[in-house]
Amino acid sequence: MNNSKSDRAGYLFILPWLLGLIIFTLGPMIFSLILSFSKWDVITGVESIQYVGLDNFKAIFHDPLFYQSLKVTFIFALVSVPLFQVASILIAVLLNMRSRGMKFFRLIYFMPSVIPAVATSMMWVMIFNPEYGILNEALGWFGIQGPAWLQDPNYALGALIVMGLWGVGNTIIIYLSGLQGVPEDLYEAGELDGAGIFRRFFSITLPLITPTIFFNLIMGIIGGFQYFTQAFVMTNGGPLNSTLFYNLYLYNKAFIEFDMGYASALSWILFIIILLFTLLVIRSSSFWVYYQGDDRD
Amino acid sequence: MQTSLRKFNLSQWLALLILIAGSAIVLVPLLWTVSTSLKTPAEVFGNSFFPQKWIWSNYSDAVRAIPFFLFLRNTLIILVPVMIGTVFTGALCAYGFARFNFRGKQTLFLILLATMMLPSQVTLIPTFLLFKQVGLTNSFLPLILPAFFGGLGGGAFNIFLIRQFMRGIPRELDESAFVDGANRWQIFIRIMAPLSKAPLIAVSIFTFMGVWNDFQGPLIYLNSNEKYTLALGLSMFKGMYNVEWNMLMAATILIMLPALILFFIAQKYFIEGISISSAIKG
Repeated sequence: MNNSKSDRAGYLFILPWLLGLIIFTLGPMIFSLILSFSKWDVITGVESIQYVGLDNFKAIFHDPLFYQSLKVTFIFALVSVPLFQVASILIAVLLNMRSRGMKFFRLIYFMPSVIPAVATSMMWVMIFNPEYGILNEALGWFGIQGPAWLQDPNYALGALIVMGLWGVGNTIIIYLSGLQGVPEDLYEAGELDGAGIFRRFFSITLPLITPTIFFNLIMGIIGGFQYFTQAFVMTNGGPLNSTLFYNLYLYNKAFIEFDMGYASALSWILFIIILLFTLLVIRSSSFWVYYQGDDRD
Repeated sequence: MQTSLRKFNLSQWLALLILIAGSAIVLVPLLWTVSTSLKTPAEVFGNSFFPQKWIWSNYSDAVRAIPFFLFLRNTLIILVPVMIGTVFTGALCAYGFARFNFRGKQTLFLILLATMMLPSQVTLIPTFLLFKQVGLTNSFLPLILPAFFGGLGGGAFNIFLIRQFMRGIPRELDESAFVDGANRWQIFIRIMAPLSKAPLIAVSIFTFMGVWNDFQGPLIYLNSNEKYTLALGLSMFKGMYNVEWNMLMAATILIMLPALILFFIAQKYFIEGISISSAIKG
């Protein structure tokens, strides 16, 4: 099957993707780069694209809303990514116990992550309602006067983080599969050596699932920077821009104000930020990610 | 931490307790949403968890308050071709990457992996402008067409997933068919695709969820109300004059339901499909 004539047929099979790559990825990327250095009133034709050099970028670095959206996104990512990982690992460890009914628990925990984001958002708008929402009702049982959540600039972002915690199911599933790759005999050996539960967790479980943590960290960072639907539906950036996520600001610039050049420049800055963070995690990984295969070499 | 069943000790009881408490946190908001969807408007503002009387008509009212079936139809008009396109071209490209040795394959595959990392925002604006330029905005086509080119963004992941699986199919199977005179296309259709049922089902489910959940795509491309999808329609419901929470929650449940039903039917593929994604390690 290795003659070159039939191998050329391989191109035919990957042709759809290849065309997609050119039409929907590479082409748009080049166009987006051109736009980011241009001013364009979209209503008129392509001819009216005007090269303005670094003007968009200069304007962005003087734009208070750019910094605000960056701040919101950073706070969200820095709080929620580690928080979600810790919570997911703990639940995954519990769900990895060998006992009856675990399958049932796994289903329950995973369920929220298949619910459409719009539906989840609607549900939580109601839950966060200060007067008749169930959250403040529950806090009331402990004598806590709950805040106005989505209407309060000090709490709105926190509310979205709390809501996110509710839907960490798919991260849990990924950890669960990571945990199932940890050889049982290591735990037995640990137990024989007199290691307690916590010792076994920190010396066996945690190091062996570092590749999964690594994967989830990268996905978490990318996801955090692309957060959109929930913020759009629940707060639309408010109150007082306290939930103006970067992606939401980008959307407003592009599809509300139709400032495509500016928005394209914003999207490239986002790309660079995500790339830097991803590279940072990848570069740091040699210090903390442990691959089981490594020590056999 | 896997501990065997015979020593069901204190720490395990504690673990079980935590799991039950966690499940309650997951389930209570859902149950409360269901219960709210069955209340009278007056009861919504009260603080009883369960409705006094179950007002099932909230559901029929909600369906009438927004053009629910029109939105459902729109969603399906997008969903069906997208599923066909994504699964078909995904399998096709995966086969190409799994079984052929053409020049530049390694580089192209690396590019494929790299596109998974590319934030959709970078291509969002120019792709929108492209469709606007050819006059296709406010139609379903911008939401459908990319599926036939391996899919936007998520497409690369599908191809990767199916390819990984196809590489595990013994080469002898398709090679013997080749010797018997089958051509590449026949091998793909008769042997590789049917044998790859598992990842193809997983990809179909993810695609269904992707379309059912998609919000930003329809938001950008569809301007007129009669073209709205369910997800978009629901969000507009909230903005309507004086929100009736019971009806809004009924509509919310209706949109959740197909996703939840599919999840319960196909949970095996779902959970396995997601677990496979963690196999992509550094």
